[in-house]
Amino acid sequence: MDSFTQRRRRDLILAAILAAIAACVPFFVKDVYVQNIMVLTLMYAALSQAWNILGGYCGQISLGHALYFGLGAYTTALLFTKFGVLPWFGMLAGGAISSVIALALGYPTFRLRGHYFVIATIVIAEIGFLLFHNWDYAGAALGIDIPVRGDSWAKFQFTRSKLPFYYFALVFCCVAWFITWWLEDSKWGFWWRAVKDNPDAAESLGVVVFNSKMGAAAVSAFLTAIGGAFYAQFVSYIDPESVMTFQFSLLMALPAVLGGIGTLWGPVLGAVILIPMTELTRSFIGGSGRGVDLILYGAVIVLISLARPDGVIGLFSRRPASKGVPQ
Amino acid sequence: MSAPLLETRGVWQRFGGLIANSDVSISVGAGEIVGLIGPNGAGKSTLFNLIAGVLPPTQGTIWFNGQDVTQLPAAERCALGVARTFQVVKSFETMTVIDNVIVGALIRNDKMKDARRKAYEVLEFCGLAPRADKLARDLIPSEKRRLEVARALATEPKLLMLDECLTGLTPLEAQSGVALVRKVRDTGVTVLMVEHVMEIVMPLVDRAIVLNLGKKLVEGKPADVVRHPEVISAYLGDRHAVGA
Repeated sequence: MDSFTQRRRRDLILAAILAAIAACVPFFVKDVYVQNIMVLTLMYAALSQAWNILGGYCGQISLGHALYFGLGAYTTALLFTKFGVLPWFGMLAGGAISSVIALALGYPTFRLRGHYFVIATIVIAEIGFLLFHNWDYAGAALGIDIPVRGDSWAKFQFTRSKLPFYYFALVFCCVAWFITWWLEDSKWGFWWRAVKDNPDAAESLGVVVFNSKMGAAAVSAFLTAIGGAFYAQFVSYIDPESVMTFQFSLLMALPAVLGGIGTLWGPVLGAVILIPMTELTRSFIGGSGRGVDLILYGAVIVLISLARPDGVIGLFSRRPASKGVPQ
Repeated sequence: MSAPLLETRGVWQRFGGLIANSDVSISVGAGEIVGLIGPNGAGKSTLFNLIAGVLPPTQGTIWFNGQDVTQLPAAERCALGVARTFQVVKSFETMTVIDNVIVGALIRNDKMKDARRKAYEVLEFCGLAPRADKLARDLIPSEKRRLEVARALATEPKLLMLDECLTGLTPLEAQSGVALVRKVRDTGVTVLMVEHVMEIVMPLVDRAIVLNLGKKLVEGKPADVVRHPEVISAYLGDRHAVGA
């Protein structure tokens, strides 16, 4: 019992130290390009943490989270441009709408198992993309330009400095991490891991598998939408291509998978490796030859997966990496 | 015997053209150890799954503790006090042994702290405490069987259903398994076990129910059951039946 409490306390202290360091970094790093990468890294760390709740802990691999990301972005942008609602309320509204939609979609899709569930999430996100692409009120393919009304926290707009966005992303990342930390030692956390490992056994022990999945989906979708709302404010222009494509679904899943799926630190670790790499390869060699950046990027992912099937987190684990799956 | 803890009344189960259970009525009294035996394909596992709530029977009703549970799903039956193990062990492989058991303990304990304490108690009881922090996938087969039992016990059941949990163990492991089942019964838990290995089950159970070809063949004291001509012919063929 002691080692368990100790480990959880150690995680919490480590997180506090890392957050403090991250908060100081902008004092030393003034380069806007690098700051931009740091904002994206924190955002994807948080998004991947959200994805990890459903995909990692509960084991329901979704490749359609771009839908919730887009819903968050569009809800905030639409409420602001059409009704003058402040982005902070738009953000919460987007989260709530995403949760409700995640539950509505979970009702039929959580009866599917394994690959069939994954396929369903891809298809549904694609439907969402097409709907927004053709929805005139929401700007259709042209998207929504969020009008600049001057720098302010109330409107969550900053044109001169990236720092406010950086600090929001940092808080967002910390909140997502903390929610996961807290859920890890809760009923829900145990139910989710049980459902992932063996739904039949979970059911026999009194876990209502369906409800557990629904709970994970709602939390995951809510946090993802917050990320989408943030992104809309950050780039101040959204269209279906820039917030709802399959690429975003992948970018939410990959850090968690790469860092260590179903672990507390996996998404953070994965995002810190993956996102700077994505951005750097794109800007330094993206223009030189067609797709060289993507080839390199893919190669690194393949290498890491081969070396550490359990994720990079395995390097830090005291347990020896498991040798294959015993059966 | 007072009102039975568990009762099946005229239970049928058809899978397409196959009749796995036909008109099976059994009852298990509180505090008993009852063995459900029969040759391969007798319908033991089907009946077991019907009682655990994996699927509802095609026809007939199942009563637990005076309540009709026929339509209740497995999770709700667990809440009422029915716990089971699986013939092919279904551990939560990526979780530690203690975490496996906590999942079971959560149904009666709202606070994590209480669930954890309960889980440790159960591990002590089952002799798995030294392995508490190991991953379930690192256990040896006999330990995994114990873990199945521990997890089920953590739900604080009135009825514990064991699906061939002594099959495939070494004689020594099986003996300590038998001791564990006795210990469980001594805490007031009723045990219903499906078992293949006759020489292990027979001394253990208070009563045996024999299924054959989906029907209930005989039930009674183990010593009587093994001498029953129909049981012998079911297991060994007609030529061996006494007086045939």
